[in-house]
Amino acid sequence: MAYDLHFDWSSSITEVMLGATKAEGGTRRLSYRIGGGTTLPFLETTQGSSAPLIAFEICDNPQYWSPIVRNYCGDLVNDCGEWAKTADSGYGSDMIRLYLTSTRQRNFSDIPSVGKTVESVLSNTSLPLIIEGSNEPKIDSEVFLKCGEAGQGERLLLGTAEAGRYRSIAAAAMAYNHSVIAQSPIDVNLAKQLNILLKEIGLSRDHIIIDPYTGSLGYGFEYSYSAMERIRFSALKGDTDLAMPIICSAVDTLTVKEIREAGPAIQDDIAVQWEFTTGLAAAIAGSEIICVRHPKTIPLLRKAFASLKSGKNTIGGQ
Amino acid sequence: MALKALDIYKLLPKKNCKECGDPTCLTFAMKLAGGKTDVDLCPYMDDAAKAVLSATTRPPIRLVKLGIGERSFAVGEEFVLYRHEKTFYHPPGIMFKIADTSTPEEILAVTVRVRDESFTRVGTELRFNGIAIENTSGSPEHFARAIETIEKTADLPLVLMASDPLALSAALTFCGTYRPLIHAATPENYKEFCAIAKQHGCPLVIKGKSVIELAQLSKDCTTEGVQDLIMDLSPESFQEFIVRSTTIRQLAITREAPDLGYPVFLDASVMEMQDAAITLGISKYASVIISTPLPSATAQAALTLRQNIYTDPQKPIQMNPGLYRVGNPGKNAPVLMTVNFSLTFFTLQGYLESTRLPCFMLIVDTEGLSVLTAVAAGKLSEVLVRDSIKKFDVENEVSHRKLIIPGYASPLSGRIEEATGWKVMVGPRDAAEIGEFLHEEWKQ
Ligand code: B12
Ligand code: SF4
Repeated sequence: MAYDLHFDWSSSITEVMLGATKAEGGTRRLSYRIGGGTTLPFLETTQGSSAPLIAFEICDNPQYWSPIVRNYCGDLVNDCGEWAKTADSGYGSDMIRLYLTSTRQRNFSDIPSVGKTVESVLSNTSLPLIIEGSNEPKIDSEVFLKCGEAGQGERLLLGTAEAGRYRSIAAAAMAYNHSVIAQSPIDVNLAKQLNILLKEIGLSRDHIIIDPYTGSLGYGFEYSYSAMERIRFSALKGDTDLAMPIICSAVDTLTVKEIREAGPAIQDDIAVQWEFTTGLAAAIAGSEIICVRHPKTIPLLRKAFASLKSGKNTIGGQ
Repeated sequence: MALKALDIYKLLPKKNCKECGDPTCLTFAMKLAGGKTDVDLCPYMDDAAKAVLSATTRPPIRLVKLGIGERSFAVGEEFVLYRHEKTFYHPPGIMFKIADTSTPEEILAVTVRVRDESFTRVGTELRFNGIAIENTSGSPEHFARAIETIEKTADLPLVLMASDPLALSAALTFCGTYRPLIHAATPENYKEFCAIAKQHGCPLVIKGKSVIELAQLSKDCTTEGVQDLIMDLSPESFQEFIVRSTTIRQLAITREAPDLGYPVFLDASVMEMQDAAITLGISKYASVIISTPLPSATAQAALTLRQNIYTDPQKPIQMNPGLYRVGNPGKNAPVLMTVNFSLTFFTLQGYLESTRLPCFMLIVDTEGLSVLTAVAAGKLSEVLVRDSIKKFDVENEVSHRKLIIPGYASPLSGRIEEATGWKVMVGPRDAAEIGEFLHEEWKQ
């Protein structure tokens, strides 16, 4: 008997392009095509499918960032252009995810500064970018448009659309041909609903990345893991409204009790281990972009993904 | 194909003699249908019936028990590929590996660590499960002495890793009656290994270079009379592990390849990235995972991931609603309200204990939802708070009428005041700040 896996999948994950090279109308040194999977993560038997992407998260106002990262990265955190450059050439990430945390200040109104920040990051790294815009509905429209405009031609990934507020970001994405992160709180049906809303206002499927929300390890990850698996499963079964690549960002990981209260000698190690464990397990569940905040997590994930994509995938002879 | 209880009943002797432990043949049949008992328990069944029944009624993945006593654990008996389809039942045992060439002090230190170390999360003690000892020295005496050192110190499940039957026999004189797991039978040595496993009633790991080889080996070993098998897939990469492990799980649970219906063994310590291998093993169906003694940063992450993956996402771990005491609170002690999600309860309780201010925790029934989730889902309401105060007789426990609510429940504060007549104080959002808050705001 042949001991083969057999799933009766009928569909595949939609492909999404991130970043644009010169030939593609942008200025990035590379671009990524993610999605395209036809089975569960890492079971692909054909060569050539790519490993999950690793995105390093930075921000333009470090007051909102974990002290662990601030200590580790030092002065870089005060200059997001330099920080982005180091994330690219020093930390070795695949993408940069910029959070415009400056817009979280009360009564923020300096919209032109948003454009400048995005431009400075674009000019300091030639990696594809994810930009996290405002957190405040009142300024969403202006902030997202500014980001979209500053990154025109670069096929940015813009975040984050939610069920209650997705119009401004979708409008900016459509105006400048960027993609959108669609976030819903750990629920397959909510993820689907939001994608339908986005579709209805005209955003095409190949411009959406699903963020099912990643609860941190020990603080909701048990739910997030299954939400990711179920989205992938539904997609492969043929639900086109869920057939988008998944992004995982365990934003709360560095603030959980176990890490916050760890002694200084071991705090970095614990933070890295928790981020690494969460990111790797999320990739196994179906995430194709893994976001991290600690630089030391990047090489670990990179190495693990290489082994998961080793191509040594025979079940061992027939 | 699963049989219905009545079809099974037709094949039973119908003596109703109770020897199987069930009151009637029919109840025995019902249990068999649910995979909850073993065909072998009925002594009167004829061979033909037995053959039909054992193939269809045993759980698709055999339950295998390691060790004896308090720290023993069982693995296998899983039914699904995805945890959301049902749940995963038997968390993998994670066992620390030591070489028999280590000094007695080193062996002792690891043994004591596995025996004593525990890490409490959400009211549950998380522990490593046992020790794997490898016959690196090649000497049976060394191996036996190492086992003796462990056995003198702790009753922990063991894995005996050796290729020399003499070394195994020497070790088994010290631990043979405690169900250690023997590692590993291969196509070359399985007859000898089976004889040893059978003699001592031990579970046995079979190690094959391919899924085909494992299926054949399991058939051979059961023919030799050893049923409690665990399969080492000997993967060379993570991808090879995930493909083989998923294949085996799928073919086992669909009963397409009953010869693969055994739990999976993973020696993470021989993989290139041990931490990653552990994560992979926990997520993708390993039941016994071996690693070198983990540094504490990795240890916590691994145990937490295991707890997460083996928690049923459909049923959050809950507390019984009620009035709980921290320390010995008097009539003037503060009352802090929160939800009955265990994680929330234990997090808040931990911080309250460290403030050293005796107080009451009023736990209301949000069906296991956390504060924010309960507020978002409408499961936390003023009516619930009012009824809980009545039900748990809080008015007679304290002489004041002040209720501290979680910061995230602040949208409800006005309504709670109205419904209860109590004065509501909105606490911080983060329980870590509760000490400071009580210190500043709680002046009686
Ligand atoms: C895991 C999770 C779930 C799990 C449920 C987990 C559970 N048992 O509650 C699932 C997947 C089921 C879920 C469902 C939903 N979720 Co949810 N979920 C989360 C997540 C990731 C973590 C929650 C958690 O476990 N927190 C840990 C516990 C310990 O936190 P806590 O209870 O709040 O306790 C802390 C404080 O409140 C404080 N505290 C607690 N008690 C007290 C008492 C006092 C006196 C004081 C002073 C302090 C205090 O101390 C604790 C530690 O600091 C959060 C995001 C987040 N990071 O919070 C979203 C989140 C809470 N969920 C959200 C939503 C919207 C939902 C849904 C309504 C979505 C939907 N429509 O299906 C549902 C509702 C549930 C339902 N109808 O079944 C939103 C809430 C939005 C909002 N701001 O209101 C969040 C914030 C996610 C998001 N960003 O969108 N969720
Ligand atoms: S032992 Fe066999 S015959 Fe006796 S009651 Fe049980 S099933 Fe029936």
